[in-house]
Formats: sequence, C-alpha cells, structure tokens
Amino acid sequence: MNKAKRLCAIACLAVVATWLTTAQAQPSAAQTAIEAAKQYSGSTINVVWPAGVGALGQKVFAAPLFEQLTGVKVNIVEAPPTDVYIKVVAEHRAGTGGFDVVSLVPSWLTDLSIAGIIEPLDELVDKYGFAAELQGIEPAYRNNWMTHGGKIMAIPDDGDVLLLFYRKDLFNDPANKEAFKAKYGYELAVPTTWEQFSDIGWFFTNTYQPDLYGASVIHRSGLMQYFFQERFRNAGGRFFDVDSMDAQINDEIGVKVATQLQDEAEFMPPGSENWNPVEVLTAWLSGRVAMITWWPPPGRWSEGYGTDNEALKWVPESQIKGKVGYALSPGGNPELALGWSLAVSSNSRNKELAYLYIQWVNSEEISLQRVQLPYSLRDPFRASHFESAEYRSRWDNADEYLDVLRQGAQIGMLDLSIRNTFQYEEALARAMQRLMAGEDPQEVMNEAAANWDKVTRRTGVDKQRAAYEEWAAKPNAYPQ
Amino acid sequence: MKNGRLNRTLIRNNMKSSTGGGAGDRRFQYLALSPAIVLLLLIGAFPVIYNLVLSFQSQTMLDPDTSFAGLANYQELLSDNRFWGAISHTLIIAGFALPVQLVLGLLMAHLFVGELPGKRLFIALLILPVVIAPVVAGAAWRLFLDNSFGPVNAIISWFAGGPVKLLWTVDPTLVYPTIIIVEVWQHTPFVFLLSLAALLAVDRSQVEAAQIDGASGWTVFWWITLPAIMPVLGMVMLIRFIDIMRIFEMVLSLTEGGPGTRTETLSLYTYTTGFKDFSLSYTGAIAFVTIIMMSVVLWVILGRMERGR
Repeated sequence: MNKAKRLCAIACLAVVATWLTTAQAQPSAAQTAIEAAKQYSGSTINVVWPAGVGALGQKVFAAPLFEQLTGVKVNIVEAPPTDVYIKVVAEHRAGTGGFDVVSLVPSWLTDLSIAGIIEPLDELVDKYGFAAELQGIEPAYRNNWMTHGGKIMAIPDDGDVLLLFYRKDLFNDPANKEAFKAKYGYELAVPTTWEQFSDIGWFFTNTYQPDLYGASVIHRSGLMQYFFQERFRNAGGRFFDVDSMDAQINDEIGVKVATQLQDEAEFMPPGSENWNPVEVLTAWLSGRVAMITWWPPPGRWSEGYGTDNEALKWVPESQIKGKVGYALSPGGNPELALGWSLAVSSNSRNKELAYLYIQWVNSEEISLQRVQLPYSLRDPFRASHFESAEYRSRWDNADEYLDVLRQGAQIGMLDLSIRNTFQYEEALARAMQRLMAGEDPQEVMNEAAANWDKVTRRTGVDKQRAAYEEWAAKPNAYPQ
Repeated sequence: MKNGRLNRTLIRNNMKSSTGGGAGDRRFQYLALSPAIVLLLLIGAFPVIYNLVLSFQSQTMLDPDTSFAGLANYQELLSDNRFWGAISHTLIIAGFALPVQLVLGLLMAHLFVGELPGKRLFIALLILPVVIAPVVAGAAWRLFLDNSFGPVNAIISWFAGGPVKLLWTVDPTLVYPTIIIVEVWQHTPFVFLLSLAALLAVDRSQVEAAQIDGASGWTVFWWITLPAIMPVLGMVMLIRFIDIMRIFEMVLSLTEGGPGTRTETLSLYTYTTGFKDFSLSYTGAIAFVTIIMMSVVLWVILGRMERGR
C-alpha cells in the first residue's frame, strides 16, 4: 500500500514537473511572433501611423528592432492623426494594398469593420497563441475596443483617457483653502463635479490673474467635442432616442453642458477660446493655469520625464515639477477619448506578417517598453503596464499617476462609435467652435442635433439603430 | 525667276490651305487636330462626365453602391443650407477682396511706373506674399493674430494702453475681415505685377499728347490709361475671381471654416463632403452644380469682355 502511494506520489510529481517544464518552455507572444515572422525575412510591410512625435516610437524603436530580429523591413507611413482615417479608407477604396497594418481610433471600428477594410483576427490570434496575453489588456479597452460583430477586428494599443491635472501646491496652500471656504462654503479640494470645477476655476482666476488662471481646456482642433461627449453622458444624457434614432444632444442636459462649457471659458486665460493642445500644454507647463483636463502625457511631462530627449525638445520646460496631482475628470466617468488600436488591412498582400508585427509590438514584453518611451505617446493599457515596478519608479509620484490612469481605464466611457462616426464628430466639433464664438448654446445644439439627424437619415435609420444598439450595449458606452 | 515662281506657288498653296480651300483640306485639318481634341476631351470632359454619372448614384467611400439613385442628391443639394451658405461665404470674400485687390494693385503699379531708386528690390519684396503657399500664409497669419502670442494684438494693446482681447479667427464679427485682409495681402501683388506690365505698355505718346493739351492726371488715367489697360485688368479680375471661388487652404489653416461653418467656402465644403463624410455621389453633385454655375458666370463675363473689345 505504501509502495503504491509512493508510486502514485512520484507519478504526480512527474506530471507536475513535466507541466512546469512545458509551461516554462512556452514561448511568449513576442517570441512566437518573431519566430514565425522570420520566414518572411526580406519582406516589407507598410504600417500607417499617426504622424508626429508619436511615430518615433515606431521609427526609432519598434520597426528597427523588428527588422533586426526577423529581417522584415517595417515601413512606417506617417499621416496627420485626423487624416489617418481618410488615408486608410481611400487606399482601401483604390485597392492599392498600400498598407498592411492600420492604425485606427477605436471609434472608427464600426465603419472600418462594416466596410470590410480591416480583417478579422480570431484565427491568427488562436494560431499564434496571443489569446492569453490579450487578457492582460485592461478590460475597458479589451471589452470595448477590440471586437465588432463578435469578432476580433483590432488590438487596443494605447490607453487614452481624459484626466484632470491640478496644481497640488495651490490646492494645499492654507491661504487659498481659507479664502475658498470663506467664499464658497466648502473645502478647496480636487473637484468631483463640474460645478466645483467652475467654482475653483473662478477662485484661482480671481486670486492670481493675470499670472495664473483657473483652468484651461482644448477648445480647438476638433478635440473639444470629446469633452462634450464625456460630460453629456455623465450628466445623464443619451445620444439618441433608440426608437426614433433622433439625436438628443440638444435636450436639456445637452444645452446645460454646452452652456457650462461656454461659461467656463470666462475664467480661462484670455484668448484660450482658440487654443489647441500645444497652447494648453504650454500654459500648463509654464505654471500659468491651475487645472487642465488632457490626455495622459502632461502627467509625465510635468515631472520632466523624458523631456530632455531630443524628440521632446518642443515640450516647454516644466516649471511645475513636484507640484502636480492627478485625478479623474469631474463628473465621474472619464472619456476614453481617441486612443489607438492596430488592425490588419484586408487589402494587405501579407496579412499574416502584418498580424505578427501587431502581436509582437502589442505583446506584454514589447508594449511595456513602448509605453515607457517618453516620445512614443502610447499610454499604459495593460495590467502589467500599470503594475510595472520600473514604470512606477520613473518619477516621484509615478505610482499615483499610474493608479489614476488605471482607475480611469476601468470606469472610462467610450467615444461614440456607430456608422459614419466621423460625420457625427465633425458636426459636434463645429458646434463646439460656435460655442466658443459665443453663440447661443440652445441654437448651437439644435443645429448640431439637426445635422446628426441628417447624417442618420442619410445612413439609414434602421442600419444606424442596429449599429447604435451594438455600441450602446458595450459595458462602457454609458456610465455604469 | 524659277525660284520666284516656286515661292509664289508655295504662298498660294499656303493661303489656300489656311483659308480652308477644299473639302479635302478641311478633312486634313480636322484629322490633324483630332489627337489634340481627343486629348482635351479626355482631360476636360471625362472627369465632368464621370462626376455627372457619380452624382446619380449613392456611392460613399465605405459603400460602393453604383445603383441609380435618380435626382436624390440634387434634391438634397437644393435644400442643403450648408451648401448655399458655402456659396454665399465664398461670394462675400470675393465681393470684398476682389475690388480691394484691384484698386490697391493698380495704385501700387501706378507708383512704380516712373523711375524709382531701388525699384527692382521693392518689386521683389512686394511680390513675396504671392509666392508663399496659401496654407503657410493662413498658418502664419493665425500666429500673427493669436490673442496670447501674436504681435498684432500686442501692438493694439500697446496703443490701447491695456490688454485687448480680439479673437480674429474665432469671433464671428472678425473672421471675415481677417480672411479678406489675408486674401488681399497675399494676392494684391499678383494684380500689381500684371497692372504694372500693362501700364508700362501704354503708349506714352498718347499720354504726352493729352498732357500737352492740358488734360489733368485723372483725365489722362480715365480716358487713355484705363481703356488701354482694361483688357489686362479684365483678365486679372477673371483670374482672381476664379481663384477666390476656389479658395481653400488659406481658410482651412486660418479658421478651419469656423466658427461652426460660418466661413466655410465652397471648396472647403466640397472637401468635407468628399474626404471627411466620404459621400462621393453627393460630392459629385456639388462638383457638377459648381461647374455649371461657374461656367455660366464665366460665359457671361467673357461675353461682356468680348463685346467691350
């Protein structure tokens, strides 16, 4: 009996040892991709990427490394971020096969999938064993940005989320605290509602102008519409009435948000009605505003992380090192605005190789390096990025930064993504411009809603309803 | 003698062929011209015909639906306020910028007719704006006019004795003056150059004769110089009008057609429907209507110019 038990124990140990050995020998997704891509040595793939400093992460780091490891040349084709979509669709339409890997903003996923411009990736994910590592992508990105019609169409590659950056030194200043409480009747603290944001903005502007103003946000470049999308939904707004598919952005909530956005410009720096991202960033880093809502990079640049790099010489030197706090946008659920995913072009003559490049570049191992490149403009999107001890030690309060980023990634809301999304965004962006020109919010939002209805009718109400229902059913479409 | 006869024969033959002597000669002429005509038709007419066909479909970049859609796009166009708005915005720019360019260009040219020290250098400097790409001009002016960093508001604030907030590219009351100023700044040198060339070609003897007869400067200009340069000015007006009707890059980089669609020009709207909305057939309809409208306008203007001659 004892002998039998011993034999059984030995057999179990052998099984466990074999499993452990096999598991250890299991190559990572990055290794798998590299080994498989070696058979394509000498080939070239074309990757369309948003132009500018962010493309350096590909041109300087990823593409040369991939070529060194596999012999495959990766040609990075840059296009202005707003033109990537146009370029991708136009190339597809012309059937040139000009791009193998497509960069896309997740809100374009519906259009690109329906039009057959990007390729389903399920088979390749299974074939090259990427499924396990995909589970490491933060759920909000994985569950919302990756699939259309139940198929994997794109791999999330950038954890964009709108955050609030604020000046801790000003918020913690006892004189400010006392004066604020005396005036507004509550403690000066990080705003959790837009009403508080407005109070605090006015307070700092009245206290410090013209040296410092309460806040600044991006009003130009078509980006302001993301702030509207976020605030509208946090306030309880719904983009469409599902039955009629009539736009509801001009309802009471929409007009209230539009009015708030317009009024807030009053306590922002004079002329900021026209500011683009760089102007807001400049004001922030030079210490001329107390709060900004922006995408994640200013959190890093405020602490000077990587700004000594040649590629980031354009970033003004931070005057606010050690004075910056990070928080979720007031209102609760921040917008997972923009972001970038990667997909394989259905016109590619080298789909498998294109996929392998995506798997490699997006893998745990390589993506962790990429999100830490100061110039890649890729923000953390995997659990391992948020938990990385290396990243968390990059600057004094990097851990605080990563925690807030992760929190945002967990409860963030998606950009609207239906058919012809671009047209809805364009109409909303133009409405925001008119708001900043001081026009009547009700009138502006009425016209925007009319334009949305026009797009819906042109697209086909039933088709659009189906697309909207699929999008609205995603866990992060509206506040949970 | 023999050579003289040969020459006369050749001249006779040439004259015969140039005046279209016989039917065979005419056939030859048409045959010789046909490659050029076919080429012109291919280049000029094919895109127009293609556009026309496209405009009767419902194609978008995302949905290549080539089925016949009838007049749906044209019906939509008739009730498209944004389209009519874009036409009126373009006409506003043309209506203000064109006369100012003409008057300024002509005045400047008048100054340069006589001898002037450093004339060549001045002319070279004056024509600089016209060689700048419109998109660069728009972007540069946007910086000049920036409320926070631009020199224009800084200078105005200095004169005003305090900060002046003028949002040149945002404020609805300032956006048109801004566009017109930049348009005039950039293209007046073109009018100036052609006007100068025309003025220099005016017969001096007529001017001098009028002056000897005691005609005033204005009388000389009105009765002698202006009629002499009118054909050139007419062409300049025509070229500038066509150019302004196509205005795109400068407005895009200066105001992006905003605020809202307040300064959206015809070209900007066409670009938006084609390359942002991807509504190919609808864009085809816009393009076709634009071509028809412009053709009618040009036909009228050219007809008037022809009669004026």
